[in-house]
Amino acid sequence: MSTEAVDFDLNRLEKGRSLWQDAFSRLKKNTLAMGGLVFLLLLIVLAVLTPWIAPYSYEEQNLMLGATPPSAEHWFGTDIFGRDQLTRILYGSRISLMVGFIATAVALCIGVTWGTIAGYIGGRVDALMMRFVDILYALPFTIFIILLTVVFGRSMLLLFLAIGAVEWLTMARIVRGQVMAIKHQEFIEAAVAMGMSRPRIMFKHVAPNVLGPIIIYTTLTIPSVILLESFLSFLGLGIQAPQSSWGSLISYGVETMEEYPWLLIFPALTLSMTLFALNFLGDGLRDALDPRVSKD
Amino acid sequence: MALLCVENLTTRFHTRDGIITAVDNVSFAIEPGKVLGIVGESGSGKSAACYSIMGLIPSPPGRVEQGSAEFMGQDLLTLSPGQLRRIRGQKIGMIFQDPMTSLNPFVTIGDQLMESLRVHKGMSKKDARKRAIAALEEVGIREPERRFNSYPHEFSGGMRQRVMIAMALINEPDLLIADEPTTALDVTVQAQILDLIKRLQREHNLSVIFISHDLGVVAHMADHVVVMQKGKVVETGSADQVFFSPQHPYTQKLVESLPTTAKPYSPQFQKDDKPFLRIKNLRTEFSRQHGFLFWKKWFHVRAVDDVTLTLRKGEILGLVGESGSGKSTLGRSIMRLVEPRSGEVLLDGVNLTELEPKRLRQARRDFQMIFQDPYASLNPRMTVFDALAEPLLIHRIVPPSQILSAVNQLMDDVGLDRRMVRKYPHEFSGGQRQRVAIARALAVRPQLIIADEPVSALDVTIQAQILELLLQLTQKYQLTMLFISHDLSVVRYVADRVAVMQQGKIVEEGEAEAIFSNPQHPYTRALLNAVHHLKKTDAA
Amino acid sequence: MLRIFLQRCLSAIPVLFLVVLFTFILIRLAPGGPFDDERAVPPQVLENLNKRYHLDDPIHVQFFDYVKHLLQGDFGPSFKYPSRTVTEVIYAGIPVTLELSLYAFLVALVFGITSGVIASLKPNTLQDYVPMSAAMIGLCLPSFVLGPLLILVFGIQLDWLPVSGWGVTPGDKILPSITLGAGYAAYLARLSRGGMLETLSQDYIRTARAKGLSGWRVVFHHALRGALAPVVSFAGPAVAGLLSGSFVVETIYQIPGLGRFYLQAAFNRDYTMILGMTILFAFLIIICNLLADLLLLWLNPKLRGRK
Repeated sequence: MSTEAVDFDLNRLEKGRSLWQDAFSRLKKNTLAMGGLVFLLLLIVLAVLTPWIAPYSYEEQNLMLGATPPSAEHWFGTDIFGRDQLTRILYGSRISLMVGFIATAVALCIGVTWGTIAGYIGGRVDALMMRFVDILYALPFTIFIILLTVVFGRSMLLLFLAIGAVEWLTMARIVRGQVMAIKHQEFIEAAVAMGMSRPRIMFKHVAPNVLGPIIIYTTLTIPSVILLESFLSFLGLGIQAPQSSWGSLISYGVETMEEYPWLLIFPALTLSMTLFALNFLGDGLRDALDPRVSKD
Repeated sequence: MALLCVENLTTRFHTRDGIITAVDNVSFAIEPGKVLGIVGESGSGKSAACYSIMGLIPSPPGRVEQGSAEFMGQDLLTLSPGQLRRIRGQKIGMIFQDPMTSLNPFVTIGDQLMESLRVHKGMSKKDARKRAIAALEEVGIREPERRFNSYPHEFSGGMRQRVMIAMALINEPDLLIADEPTTALDVTVQAQILDLIKRLQREHNLSVIFISHDLGVVAHMADHVVVMQKGKVVETGSADQVFFSPQHPYTQKLVESLPTTAKPYSPQFQKDDKPFLRIKNLRTEFSRQHGFLFWKKWFHVRAVDDVTLTLRKGEILGLVGESGSGKSTLGRSIMRLVEPRSGEVLLDGVNLTELEPKRLRQARRDFQMIFQDPYASLNPRMTVFDALAEPLLIHRIVPPSQILSAVNQLMDDVGLDRRMVRKYPHEFSGGQRQRVAIARALAVRPQLIIADEPVSALDVTIQAQILELLLQLTQKYQLTMLFISHDLSVVRYVADRVAVMQQGKIVEEGEAEAIFSNPQHPYTRALLNAVHHLKKTDAA
Repeated sequence: MLRIFLQRCLSAIPVLFLVVLFTFILIRLAPGGPFDDERAVPPQVLENLNKRYHLDDPIHVQFFDYVKHLLQGDFGPSFKYPSRTVTEVIYAGIPVTLELSLYAFLVALVFGITSGVIASLKPNTLQDYVPMSAAMIGLCLPSFVLGPLLILVFGIQLDWLPVSGWGVTPGDKILPSITLGAGYAAYLARLSRGGMLETLSQDYIRTARAKGLSGWRVVFHHALRGALAPVVSFAGPAVAGLLSGSFVVETIYQIPGLGRFYLQAAFNRDYTMILGMTILFAFLIIICNLLADLLLLWLNPKLRGRK
């Protein structure tokens, strides 16, 4: 039911402020979080447009040039094959961000579904489902991912699924906790007492109230996914050459850091800045959406 | 000479939404060996004033901005933190509202008791233990030796409050500050705790500052009374003076708001009317599972045990009981928010316990519920308009074109300004929210309303307004109502008939006035005796 | 208490069994046999090899053989280096990895909890911002960035500390421990700050202050126990993270630990080696989770008292 359909003197009505509006105005006041948001948007735009705006081509070698420090032609310097570092970092951003977003989406889908079902049904189903999550929690997942890459070879798809499969556990726990808390609120009982159907209660009454924590946790999952991917790529177990992500760039950089420190510093800086931006944004969202703070 | 003399105390909270003056130029004094009552509704600053004196205001954001608090020749507000600590717990003891959360759950009560002795008096462990056990005995904990090493969760609420009192008094302070010490307790337990405080006060010639929202309790306890409103002291005087010839309009309003009489409306049904709602042998059980894998065990708790009740059309039945008596579960079982195990609920001849889910959903427009907590019973993400329009649409009460006028009608009915319909619940006060919740229940034009403690989360002046509203609406729409409450005065004010519930069973049932003037069952009598009304004889 | 303890211990056994089963099947599923090398092996030799390692037995027989040996502490031979058994490699590497992880864990506990508690005592002041900004930096500088940076600064520029080896030159354990522990210190700092803030707002803290206790006593005797619950429950996952994190740190600092052997085995596709080490890691992590679980139970009198 939308209020817009109603035709009467809207000017006489006092306009309400929804919790979302409140939260957004709080977020806008948080400079760190907004800075993080701007940085991220900029990075995403650059990553998307990379094939058109990158100053050099990705594989173009210039062995005569070799490794050069940052200069007017090559802002971030070049590597030992004379390849432009800025171009390589931009292409790396595409991979790292893509892994970050897609694996998080995988985690989000599994985690939200799992957590919602467990929380909403409750009882023995819940106990069983959460026990399963507990057991998985106790397993060495990073090691399993390495095992999987050894057995099946390295591929992007495997990476998405494997990382998503690790990260959904916490999401499921958080969603379940939220759903459980909301389910016992009186306004849900009121909706049941009103004779509303289950789907309506789920979508109109439960969902909007668990969205906040999901948004917060999603924002905080992306950096840990990016980190995990970089970790694997650093070890040489993630993205396969000739493609490269920030992790593999850093790993090249480490090998030659004494002679050509810029090969380490620039990709490391890009990775850390992105992690900062995401964490600041996540913290800002937490402050803005936390009901305890917004309570009157 | 006064033991504690507070003058011009002002405390402000500097929050990100602005500065809030919680305590505004407050002055009061307490004589040795006397009880000072501080009365006020929520947000009146009555607790904040006492926390300010004790240096317990959370800071930031709180700040004591001016004033003095002379206690035994020292100004508490100018003392160093170290000096103030020596006063807290040695010279001034405190007890708090919620005994369930006020004791550290990770530390045994013995250790918590001994701590004060060891820190302030430097007692040896052995001496402290002896003294602590004596203190437990004094507050009426049986077998104190054995319970000494128990953790707080092993005690009931009333027992925990006794432990709190023992802890506050263990160093024999001169002043006890009791902040709503019985608000979270059942009425019979409340009476015991009040008696205990009173006895200890006399025996130790203690001064007590007794903070409460409950006028009856304060009248029972206090010699002197301070009435606070919005951070300011509006009236002071002896208990008799304040309660029986109040001067300030706010105090007068407070006293008038107390439900002291029987229902002010005549019943709207005939004695021989046939039953409209019939509850027959209703039973509801909760099963709980303990253990894991191979050690599973099921426990059944019978929350509603063979309850039979009838209500005539237009009748208000008050259902009274203490916490855990099963009164809320009974209400929820009738609503089928929990599934009863056996028995029948017949509403106008239809057995609600047998309805299929789909039929039940349709039938729900005939019976609605009003909940206790107006902060939790409205979806925080929906405007008032959406909350009221939703039931109208789902049950097709009015054609879509008339939704707006129907919503306006509802707003008028519950006394809310029509222009507020686009606001969200968090923008309303507690009383206004409860009005919205009532309007939502009325939207489907139900015949039966189950009101589960609808006013117990509200301040006394708001409570009076909501009760009045409920009574008017039942008259206007010929509503039948099951009114569930722990508060006997409130029930007396609204109900035609009363049922008393204890441990899942109805122990007594009858006409309201008959029950209140001549209770038969010992439990009903105990309940009635435990209530503190504004009675002149109580005040010293 | 004892029964809950036993229950938890027992419930770890099927999990361990499943881990062994899962890894075993996964390894057997791997495309290509363990002896598919660049060099062609004559069929006769291959058959002999298969016989020697019992690879011609049905898979379930192989599995139960493996489990039987496992229970005797024998992880079997390495397929790549027939001269060494997996057990030998593990015994050589594990003390180093465990020592490294332990030091890193201590770094994380000491720095993390201290700074978290300090920050929580005066929220939204300099005392809060400084340690929490440091924690944020720690969180966003992964070990594979922090390690090289520390080497560049303290090892090469300042030349204060050795940058490779383990227990060879004095002080060579400092940088690896910090590198591995920093991220977890940052995480623990945030956790303990959150836990402390939550606990400090509880009613029973007000009671403790009303008793006239000193600030330190309130923090240590009353607040800390409740506040550390999230920290303890993170300890299990933290150990898992430390063990896998040791892969990176051991590579960067050239430490002869289990992590480095594991990576070598992964690149060489030395299946028995990977299998053995994965099971060992899983075992360690499950044990640590179990310990954290029991500690949590023990910390909470409500659960402890239940029979």
